[in-house]
Amino acid sequence: MAEVVRREAVYALTAIIVVIMMVDFFFTIPAISAIAGELRTWATIISTMALTLGAVNIIRVHSRNVRRRAPGVWYHSAWLIFIFAFVLLLGFTDINNPSSNPVYKWIFDNAYVSLGQTWYAITGFYIASAAYRAFRARNIDAALLLIAGIFVMLMNAPIGEVIWVQIPRIGRWFNDVGQVPAMRTFLIVAAFGLLAFGFRTLLGRERGFYGEVAGG
Amino acid sequence: MSQETIWERLQRIDRRVIYWLLFILLIIPFIRPLGLPVSIGPQTISLLEGLRKLKEGDVVVVNISSGVSAWPECLPSLVAVSKVLIQQKAKIIYWTSFVDGHMTFEKIVEKVPGFKGLKYGVDYVHLGFYTGAEPTVAQLATNIRAIFTTDYKGTPIDQLPIMRGVNSAKDVKMVISSDTGDYGDYYIRQWRIPYGVPFAEIGIAMIFSSYQPYWPEIIFGMTGGAKGGAELEKLIGEPGDATVTMDAINTSHLLVIVAVILANIGYAATRRRR
Amino acid sequence: MGYPTTIDGILGIWTALALMLFVYSYPLYKENQLFRFAEHFFIGLSLAIAAIIAIQTTIRLAITPLMAGKFYYIIPILLGFMMYFILHRDYRWISRYPIAILVGSSIGLGMRGTIIPNILSQIISTITPPKAGADALSWFNFVYIGIGTILAVMYFLLTFEHKGPLLYPTRLGRWIIMIGLGAYYGNTVLFRMAMLSGRAQFLLQVLGLVPF
Repeated sequence: MAEVVRREAVYALTAIIVVIMMVDFFFTIPAISAIAGELRTWATIISTMALTLGAVNIIRVHSRNVRRRAPGVWYHSAWLIFIFAFVLLLGFTDINNPSSNPVYKWIFDNAYVSLGQTWYAITGFYIASAAYRAFRARNIDAALLLIAGIFVMLMNAPIGEVIWVQIPRIGRWFNDVGQVPAMRTFLIVAAFGLLAFGFRTLLGRERGFYGEVAGG
Repeated sequence: MSQETIWERLQRIDRRVIYWLLFILLIIPFIRPLGLPVSIGPQTISLLEGLRKLKEGDVVVVNISSGVSAWPECLPSLVAVSKVLIQQKAKIIYWTSFVDGHMTFEKIVEKVPGFKGLKYGVDYVHLGFYTGAEPTVAQLATNIRAIFTTDYKGTPIDQLPIMRGVNSAKDVKMVISSDTGDYGDYYIRQWRIPYGVPFAEIGIAMIFSSYQPYWPEIIFGMTGGAKGGAELEKLIGEPGDATVTMDAINTSHLLVIVAVILANIGYAATRRRR
Repeated sequence: MGYPTTIDGILGIWTALALMLFVYSYPLYKENQLFRFAEHFFIGLSLAIAAIIAIQTTIRLAITPLMAGKFYYIIPILLGFMMYFILHRDYRWISRYPIAILVGSSIGLGMRGTIIPNILSQIISTITPPKAGADALSWFNFVYIGIGTILAVMYFLLTFEHKGPLLYPTRLGRWIIMIGLGAYYGNTVLFRMAMLSGRAQFLLQVLGLVPF
């Protein structure tokens, strides 16, 4: 019985929902459309509530660091928990419009925006050093990648046209035509992959997302 | 032991030298702008042509699926597109799948002078945040009110004049999405294909590569990152942030290309020596 | 927006700059305590903001309709709470029910939506020749995209070993993919550099060397 509740019923539920979504698309059955619509709203609610799951988990990990006084780490963990609790408290002063709290807005405008942009941009450094350290024409494959990459870079930078007037045209060809077969292939292959994955899920053979080992 | 050549020494250069060089090269063009012209791609031209077809009162959804962290890439196109939408007298509905999306909306309003003559809730609105990926986007197509009951300030959606008669994808004339991830795919699958709503993509530069096979059959126009933003700014005759950014793109790209060339010469030289 | 004139505005931009420099002290210098401070600050801050927005959205999306009489909304709310059992080893199986709804609806919607834009439309675009009177380059592009797509798809045929009659087509297919990835890399560099230039500009703005 436990096996049915813990596994079989879950696979069946997943399959039923997949079928409802498909039927809703291909046929006009008001009852099915209503159920499909409600399920989509439920999925949105579940996703929204799950957003804090990551926070709960990370706070758990860092609380453990503080409790154990993990050397070189615990004070950073304590700082993380303090900031989390402090900002959360500020947000609760007006949950419908947290930005109405000036301290919250100040932290958001100056710390969150700056750190967000800074972290996202940090990979700029790494891509420059990777270009120097790893981008070698060791064989034809790598040479083709390198040539296409350089022409697209020179097309993207206005200075490419100053170097040679034909560069934007060549770069544009790689960008608009040269890469299309590869990108189109990725779309087609991914679409077939999604269909195969969907049918395996429908049959209860794809179980990785439940936290189980896939296959079977 | 043979003496190390200059190429071998260059191969072992400390990566921090490259980082500092890059940062300095990014700074210089802001102090001494080069002002080189940007070449315009056909995708940007078709985006503007599509926007220009809008008529007064047409409802357009602008999906903000990029965060404040991607402003240098995505904000210029969002600003330029908003300017054109205002010129076309379209009704603009913004919504976002990023928790900080309201800041992007407020930044757009700050940067587009045309909003001053418009009334919030009547001519434009920001409905706020949603999550849930494809199921949510699909539900938005069938029933906007199932996902948004209020705008981002908490005003009930039925009290907003702009939302009168706007219930689903059938009531929307166009969707424009600014993406750093997958949301554009969801709008193609759940809005563009089933309902035929014209769709344009104004996301980061890599999205431009991934979505190239969709253009022009499925996506009527697109811009890729700051470059696309600069192209659109040039087309509408209002140079903005992306035009400024393109100067720094010159020097940084040159550094990357010179680094690649030097590394490959070094690689060839050391391989021959071995 | 000009240079801030208020105390909190000036303090704000200098705090923002300091945090930026703390983070970049890692690539430009080496790992240090200031970097770790900024890193943990950002994680704590991001989690708090995500939690606030999630709670706000849950109230708007589920609690308000529940209070307004849609009593069956208690079901998705309970399902949402069931997700948290994923953190408990013994009761993890409970979280499979909300996951089933998320995965089932996502896969169902994905499957039904992917066929037209990602398979049919791509095939039609590939085999549609240029219009009458098109130039030689348009015809070359048509042939390149057509043959290139077939070759690149063949590379992903993993059911058969890439030898014999498949050896050269799949090798050519790999080259086509490399060209695509090269162009993608070129756009990636654009993205990363545009992001970093935004930070360089901000540094100069705070120092008053360029206008805000």
